[in-house]
Amino acid sequence: MTRSAEWTQLLMAPATTTVDAGARHRVGRHLAAAVGELVHGLPPGDQVVVTLPIVRRAHLRPDLLPVPDEPFAWKPIFVRRSLGLAVVAACANGRMRTPAEAVGPVAAEAVAEWERTGWRTFHWEPWFAGLTPGAQAMVLADAASWATSLWCSFEWASLGPVAQVGGLNDQWICPAPRPVRLKARPEIQVPLTTARQPNQGREPDRLAVALVSLSGGIPGDGWEEELSYLALVAALRWSARPVPPRVMGLWPDAGRHHTVEIDEGALNRAADRVISTVSALVDVRVPGERESVTSVETA
Amino acid sequence: MLVMDGDCSTEPFAVVGCGRASVARGTTNPVPGSAHPVTAPSHHVAWHPLAGAALLERLRNTGRPRPRSDPDFAHILRDRLEDGLSLDAPAGGDRLPPHTGPPAAVPGSPSPRSLPLVVTKDRLTRVLACETHCLSPEFGERTPTVALACGAMIDVLFRQLVCQGSIGDPMADGLAALAVDEHQQDLVSWIERMPRGDLQELRAEVERQVGGLRRRWPALGPSWMPRTQESMRVGLAGGAVELSARVDLAIGKPAEDEASVALVEIKSGARRPDHRADLHFYALIEAVRNPAPPFAVATYYTRTGELDVDPVTEELLVGAARRTLAGACALLRGAGGPDPHRHPNALCWLCSSLPHGDPGPARVGARRLIAAPGRRAA
Repeated sequence: MTRSAEWTQLLMAPATTTVDAGARHRVGRHLAAAVGELVHGLPPGDQVVVTLPIVRRAHLRPDLLPVPDEPFAWKPIFVRRSLGLAVVAACANGRMRTPAEAVGPVAAEAVAEWERTGWRTFHWEPWFAGLTPGAQAMVLADAASWATSLWCSFEWASLGPVAQVGGLNDQWICPAPRPVRLKARPEIQVPLTTARQPNQGREPDRLAVALVSLSGGIPGDGWEEELSYLALVAALRWSARPVPPRVMGLWPDAGRHHTVEIDEGALNRAADRVISTVSALVDVRVPGERESVTSVETA
Repeated sequence: MLVMDGDCSTEPFAVVGCGRASVARGTTNPVPGSAHPVTAPSHHVAWHPLAGAALLERLRNTGRPRPRSDPDFAHILRDRLEDGLSLDAPAGGDRLPPHTGPPAAVPGSPSPRSLPLVVTKDRLTRVLACETHCLSPEFGERTPTVALACGAMIDVLFRQLVCQGSIGDPMADGLAALAVDEHQQDLVSWIERMPRGDLQELRAEVERQVGGLRRRWPALGPSWMPRTQESMRVGLAGGAVELSARVDLAIGKPAEDEASVALVEIKSGARRPDHRADLHFYALIEAVRNPAPPFAVATYYTRTGELDVDPVTEELLVGAARRTLAGACALLRGAGGPDPHRHPNALCWLCSSLPHGDPGPARVGARRLIAAPGRRAA
């Protein structure tokens, strides 16, 4: 069996776990209480944004956590994922055969659409359009290589037309004295069947979905909580939908994959990682708060 | 990463390469336009660089059967590396100093976790030449030179050619491509401040090499799944050691039953013995991270159009593992702080890493030169 066939099979296997509404509620309440204590000392109007890269960095390199008000500037790496996902979607729906073939036309279509309507589907269109051909080539090359890694990881015919590539970010705003936004963006969402309830005849929104996350580098020792973070945000954001029962992480640089089956324990561990991440972020902004942060963590 | 040695403006084909050497030895000498390499009948046959379909065929057809997908052999390679490193690497990397640059200081922030020892092809080559290199504060760094600038430009222009199929004004495209890479800001700034003469020299060499690429490098169909600047990583010793490479071009679909990927490194300078070792290092990482090794690793010399192709075999991979292990252990010893093993040799007089009067210069009886751009031995 090829690696892509193996990974596809693992991703699409019937779900074996479920999380009930009570468990979901308990996790959300625990998270809100702990995070609320942590951000209490932040200045009014301040907010905290948590994403998967920030969760990782807080664990491995807290010294590199972003400080507020860092000026934003577009770079090829910021375009790579959104363009790469559009490229994979174009291949998955049969418009294009391979990422290398798709990347130029997909980028050109996005720019043309922005020029025609003013609507920025990806936000980078004006920046990309203003680049010289040499710089544009690097952006396209980055996106093509990224998309090729994802495209080659699965058997797309087996994933079927219901697999959603990209899509909107999940976001949950934690009720706290200062806004704390948890953001998550899986690369792929695939509806699953469960052992007891085949998905035929059910509304798409009521189906449990498996999530796929693609990362660079080598999986660190906190990969399980990091993958569970994606399920946690989806669970808190979409209270009427089933909690994603599975998250698969891919690290193409290292040729590695890991899968987490999501149960209440996994959500709790992810919530604890969020709490320690917010603690580190608050620490960067308000060094004097360190003592109170520690006491909340250990309480 | 591309490195060009010495003067950029030397004649094309001035370097003795595999083409000429092969002809002299009467071995295979691929002919442009030919679908298959042919045997050179005599040493008087003129050597021509491969182009187009012939170049592609040379990459595709190594003359050996492609390696089968063999997870057991990949495990053996990994185990051999793990076993060797377990004798040197502290558990969990707790005592390893950072090797990816000092962390930025953020007041009041917790300390970063221990960083892995990152083993790259350049670090391997340098530490195996002489462990003294580890002591240099510039270890792993590159000082801008005309040659380095040319290499970086050719690197991005090659990428543009592979992905877009064309290059406009080489200097303009190359500088624009480097400018959007945050890691190249120092080099771009250095190029912009170059004296006029040096800049003209750089432009001439870049244009000449791009001309060769345009004439010879074949268009790769989308079905070849070309990936440029592909990052490859393998974590070892519980995360304490990381083998890391970024290959200029990977082609071929992921392996099924047999190897189907070829790795190509682009060099804008002259052939050096360590280039082949670099390729073998890439092959090793690919073999350990994926179900099958690459079937071929190759270096393409843009200055001359030479193409060195190594078919990947078990022997090659075992040799690469042995060398990588030796280098990684040497790096660990260097990182641990004890006096490094010194291997004085004839290149020491060019080395800016060695303090004045160290055994290398003494042995060769040479006066140590003041380090000049492009004159670094290590």
